[in-house]
Amino acid sequence: MSLRVLNPNAEVLNKSAALHMNINAAKGLQDVLKSNLGPKGTIKMLVGGAGDIKLTKDGNTLLKEMQIQNPTAIMIARTAVAQDDISGDGTTSTVIFIGELMKQAERCIDEGMHPRVVVDGFEIAKRATLEFLEKFKTRVVMGDGPDREMLKMVARTTLRTKLYESLADQLTDIVVNAVLCIRKPEEAIDLFMVEIMHMRHKFDVDTRLVEGLVLDHGSRHPDMKRRAENCHILTCNVSLEYEKSEINSGFFYSNAEQREAMVAAERRSVDERVKKIIALKNKVCKGDENFVIINQKGIDPPSLDLLARAGIVALRRAKRRNMERLVLACGGEAVNSVDDLAPDCLGWAGLVYEHVLGEEKYTFVENVKHPNSCTILIKGPNDHTIAQIKDAVRDGLRSVKNTIEDEAVVRGAGAFEVAARQHLVNQVKKTVKGRAQLGVQAFADALLIVPKTLAENSGLDTQDVIISLTGEHDNGNVVGLNQHTGDPIDPQMEGIFDNYAVKRQIINSGPVIASQLLLVDEVIRAGRNMRKPT
Amino acid sequence: MKELVTFQVGSYANFIGSHFWNFQDELLGLSEDPQSNLAFKNQNLDMDALYRTGETQQGIPTYTPRLISVDFQGSLGSMNKHGTLYNQTSSHSSSIPTWTGNVSTQKSEPYKKNLFLKRLYDEGKEIVGDSQSEILDTDVVNSLEDGVDFWTDYSKVHYHPQSLFELNGSWINSQDFNNFGIGRNALSEGLQGDEINERFRFFIEECDHVQGIQFIVDDSGGFSGVGASILENIADDYTNVPVLLYSVHGPDSFQNPKNRKQNISSKLHDAVSFSALSSLCKLIIPIGLPSLSESGFCKYLNIQDKKMYHSSAVYASAIHSISLPFRMNRIGPSGESLSEYGAMDLYEGVQMLVGQGRQNTVAILDAVMPVPSLTGRVFKQSLLESFQPLTPETKHDVEDLQAIESVVVQGVLGSGLIKSCVIDAAYGCVRYMRQGWTRPDKLFRAIFDDNDEKGVHEASLSEVREAVEAAYEKATTRPRFSHLSVSRCPIPIPLPFPLIFGTHVGKRGEILSQPESESESESHDVESVPMAARLRSSTAILPFLENKLGNIRKFGLERGSIGAEVLRNWGFGREEVEEIGENYSKLVLALDPHQDYSSDSD
Ligand SMILES: Nc1ncnc2c1ncn2[C@@H]1O[C@H](COP(=O)(O)OP(=O)(O)OP(=O)(O)O)[C@@H](O)[C@H]1O
Ligand SMILES: [Mg+2]
Repeated sequence: MSLRVLNPNAEVLNKSAALHMNINAAKGLQDVLKSNLGPKGTIKMLVGGAGDIKLTKDGNTLLKEMQIQNPTAIMIARTAVAQDDISGDGTTSTVIFIGELMKQAERCIDEGMHPRVVVDGFEIAKRATLEFLEKFKTRVVMGDGPDREMLKMVARTTLRTKLYESLADQLTDIVVNAVLCIRKPEEAIDLFMVEIMHMRHKFDVDTRLVEGLVLDHGSRHPDMKRRAENCHILTCNVSLEYEKSEINSGFFYSNAEQREAMVAAERRSVDERVKKIIALKNKVCKGDENFVIINQKGIDPPSLDLLARAGIVALRRAKRRNMERLVLACGGEAVNSVDDLAPDCLGWAGLVYEHVLGEEKYTFVENVKHPNSCTILIKGPNDHTIAQIKDAVRDGLRSVKNTIEDEAVVRGAGAFEVAARQHLVNQVKKTVKGRAQLGVQAFADALLIVPKTLAENSGLDTQDVIISLTGEHDNGNVVGLNQHTGDPIDPQMEGIFDNYAVKRQIINSGPVIASQLLLVDEVIRAGRNMRKPT
Repeated sequence: MKELVTFQVGSYANFIGSHFWNFQDELLGLSEDPQSNLAFKNQNLDMDALYRTGETQQGIPTYTPRLISVDFQGSLGSMNKHGTLYNQTSSHSSSIPTWTGNVSTQKSEPYKKNLFLKRLYDEGKEIVGDSQSEILDTDVVNSLEDGVDFWTDYSKVHYHPQSLFELNGSWINSQDFNNFGIGRNALSEGLQGDEINERFRFFIEECDHVQGIQFIVDDSGGFSGVGASILENIADDYTNVPVLLYSVHGPDSFQNPKNRKQNISSKLHDAVSFSALSSLCKLIIPIGLPSLSESGFCKYLNIQDKKMYHSSAVYASAIHSISLPFRMNRIGPSGESLSEYGAMDLYEGVQMLVGQGRQNTVAILDAVMPVPSLTGRVFKQSLLESFQPLTPETKHDVEDLQAIESVVVQGVLGSGLIKSCVIDAAYGCVRYMRQGWTRPDKLFRAIFDDNDEKGVHEASLSEVREAVEAAYEKATTRPRFSHLSVSRCPIPIPLPFPLIFGTHVGKRGEILSQPESESESESHDVESVPMAARLRSSTAILPFLENKLGNIRKFGLERGSIGAEVLRNWGFGREEVEEIGENYSKLVLALDPHQDYSSDSD
C-alpha cells in the first residue's frame, strides 16, 4: 500500500493528517471521473504499453482499469463498483458525490467543526433526502401492458450518456424490446435470458435484435446444411461421443482383442443414442421440414456422420445458458437422456442458418413463434469498440429492468439534485438544532455537484447555471439543465429520466462512505470494541 | 483420443509454459528445416494434440497452441493480449465510431522490447541485406540472462487471441494476492469466471476427441484459488474430461516469512490450496524445489535460484517429456514406429498410476537432464539412480513394493552405434524417395551427409528399451509396475533458453569428460539435450502430505488460534477446515494404510 511506503509509521499517523489524506484521495478520484459525466462527457481511450486499447465512458469500467493504490481511493472505488453491481448505473455520480461531500466537510472542519458533528448533519440530511425522493419520484404503472414510451425514455437517457445520439436511439428500441421479450408476468426479470453476441465486422457499427438466438458456433460436418427452414429443434445435454468409462481404462486388458471388444461395445452404445435421435427425426419430419440438434455435450465425428447422413444439422458443446434460452425461444424442453425423447420435447424455428467470418462461425436460430428469449447482436470494427457498445447495452437493459421493477423513475438532468438541495436548505435545515445545521447545508451543497459537473462538461459557466436553476426552482418549477444552452428545462418534457433505484443507492451509499472516511479514529476504535455499526 | 487443452494459471506457471511452448515451436521449425538433425526430421509426434489450426478473417491460416493462460493484468509485458496473428486492421485508427463528443487519450509508455523480441520482430519483417542491424545470438542470450521481467520476454510463440487472459484484480496489490482465499473470490468479480469458461468452450468445441487437460497452476499465492475455481467450473460442465494437474511452486515463494503470522499463513495456504486442487483433478504432481541449484538435479547445470527464467526452463523440460506419450502417433498393429515407442493418452497415463490398487492421486516428478549416453546396451551411468525428484519434501531411498512408475526417455545418445545409423539411413531413404529423389548416387550422398556426425547418434528405440530394462533388472528395489515410453527426439534448445548448461555438456547434450572450452564458464551452443522424466506413485511422497496434514491440524484446527482466524478470513469455516484435514488423512491412508491418521489427537 502506497500509504505505508510513503510513511513507514503510517499506523501512528495523526488524526488530522489521516483525515486530510482521505479528503485528498476522494478529491483526486473525483477529478479523474468528473469529465465522464452525462451526455456531454468525455470518452476515454486508454492505450496500454503493449498497444492494447480500452475505450470507455463509464465510471465503472474506468475504475476497474485504473491501478489504484491508495487505500482510501480503493474504498471509494469499491463503493462505486458495488453501486454498479446493485443497480447497474451511477458509478460516476457516486464517486463525484463522495468527493464533494468530503470537500464540503473539509470546509466545515477547517472552520473548527468536529467531524462527528458534520457526520451527524450528513445523517439527518440523508434521511430527509431519501424521504424527499419518495415524493419527488414519478410513478410508472406497470400493468400488463407496460408503458413502452416511458421505458424508452429511460433507456434513451442512459444510452445517450454512452453512445452518440443516433446510435443510442437505435439501441433504445432494441433494449426495450429485448427486456419486454423475456419478461414473464409475476416473475423477476432475468437479463441473462438476453444473449449478447458480437461480430467483428470491418467498418460498420450496426447492432440488431434477433428474436431467437445466435450461437457462436456451427455444425462440424461438411455435409450438414448451412441453411434450413422449418426446423424442429432438439435441445439436449446428451453425450454423443466415444468416452472411456472409468472401468475400462485401456491399459490392463489382457489382450488386444479384449481391448477392441471394449471399444466396440462403447461405440455401439453411442451409436444407439444417435439412432434414437434419428428415429425421432424420421417420426416428426414431414415434407420439407428439417431437424436441428443443439447439444451441450460433445458429438464426435462418427456420430456427426450418422446424423449428417440422416439429414440432421447438429451443433455440439453449446453454452449451458443457451439450453435455457433455446427452450424459451423455440419451445420444447431440454432433454438429458435419449430415453426422454418425445415429439413434444422439440421446439420450432422457421429458419436456422450459419454465418462464417474467418474461423468464427455463427448460427442464427430465427423466426420462432413466441420468443421469450432473444439475442442482441453487436457488430463493430474492433474489440474495444464492441466492448464499449456491450457495456452500454448492458446499462440500457438494466435501466429498463429497474424501471419495471421500481415502478418509478426520477426526473434527471440535475432536476432532482437541485430540488433536493432547495428542500434541505429551505425546509430541513430549520428543524435542526445547533451546528449540525452546517452539516445539512454541506450535504445540500454537495448534491449540486451533479448539475455543476453536467454544466462544466457542456462548457457552461457553473455559477450562472446554478443560479438560474435554483431561481427557476424557487419559482415553483421542477427544472433540469439544458446541456446545450445552460437554460432551465423541464426534464419531463424532454424525456430525461433516471432510475429511481440508482438515485436511491447513490444517496444512500455516498454519505456512509464519506462518514467512515471522516471519522478516521473512531473507525479504528469501533473495530476494536466490536461495536455494531449503527 | 487426440486433443489436449493446456491451462497455465499464475505467474510461475506461465514462466514454465513459455519455455514449454518454445520447445514446441522449435520442434515445429526443426521438423521442416532441411538443415536440422535427423532426430527432429524423423520425429513422428502429433503436434495437433497441442495446437489448433485456424484462420484469420483475412483467410490466412494459423497454427497456435490450444492454450488458456491466466495471469495478472500487466503481466504480459510488451506482448499484446490479442496476440500477433489476428491483427485488427483498423484498431489503431484514432476515430471512435461510437462517440461524437470529446475524447481524451491516455497512452502508457510503450514497453521496451528487449534484444530478443526486437530480433524476433525483425525476422517477421524481411530485412533486405542490411547486416548492420543484425543482432547477434550471443547478445540476445546475454541480454536475457541480464533481465527477464515477464514470461513474454523470452517467448517466440504466436498465441491465439483467446489464449491470453488478464485477470483484473480490481486494485488488489500483487503482494496481497498471496493466499487461496483471495484468489478464490477473484473470478466472481465481474464476469471473469464466465469469460474464462467461454474461452475454454471455444477451444474444446472444435475438438473431435479431446483426451484431457494439462493444467499448470502456480500454487504459491492467490492463483491457486483462481485455478481451483476454474477447475470447479470445468468439472461442472465437462465431467468426463480428465485433468492432469501440475501444481508448481516458484523459487521466490520459498522466501523466509517475516513474522510468525506470515509463517503460519503461508503454511496454511499451502495446505489449503493443495487440498483443494488435489480434489479437482485426476492426478496432481507437485513441482518446485526450494533450491533447485543445490539439488542433485543440477549436477551438470548452473541454475540461479533467484531467476524464475532459469528454474522454469528445467521444469518445462520435464513437463515436455511427460507429455510426449500423449502425442505419439499410435501405430496400427501392422507397423512399428522407428522414432517413438509407448504411446498412451492422458487418461491412460493417469489411470495407470492411479487406478491400480492404491488410488493414490499424488505423483512425484523425477527427471534427468541430460540423460547419460549408452555404451552398447547399458547407460554409462545408472539411469534410475540419476533420476532426481523435482517434487519437494520427498523421502529418499524408500522401499515401496507397491510403487508404480511411468518413465519417458527421449533423445538418448549412443556413440556410433551401427544399428541406429542403419535405421536412420533407411528412414532417410524413404523420406527422400517420397520427395521424389530417384538418382541413387545423390540419394546416398544426401543420406551420408545427414549422418556425418562425429559418432554421436541418437540410440535406437530397442537399444534404449533394453538399456532401461537392464537398469530395472539391476535395481535393488523394483516398482510393482512400470511403463516406458521412448522417443528418439531430444529436447531442442531454442535460442531464448537460459544459459544453464555446465561446461561438461556438449553440443548434443552429451556428457563430456573434458569441458568443451576452458575459458568460458558455460557453453553457449548446446543444441539439443537428451532428457528423461518419470512420474512415480510412491510412499516417498508421504512427508509432503504429512507436513500439510500436520500444519492444518496444528494451526488451523486449534480454537482461537491465529491460524483459525486466518482461515476464517479466507472464507473457511471450521467444518471446511476439518474436511481439509480429512482429505489429507485420506491421501496419506491411500499410501500407508497401517498408520492411524484418521482421528485427531485431542
Ligand atoms: N440529456 C441530458 N441532459 C442533461 N443531463 C442528462 C441528460 N441525460 C442524462 N443526464 C444526466 O447525466 C447523469 C448520468 O450521467 P452518466 O450516466 O454519465 O453517469 P453515471 O450514471 O453517474 O455513471 P455511470 O453511467 O458512469 O455508471 C444523470 O445525472 C442524468 O440525469
Ligand atoms: Mg449512467
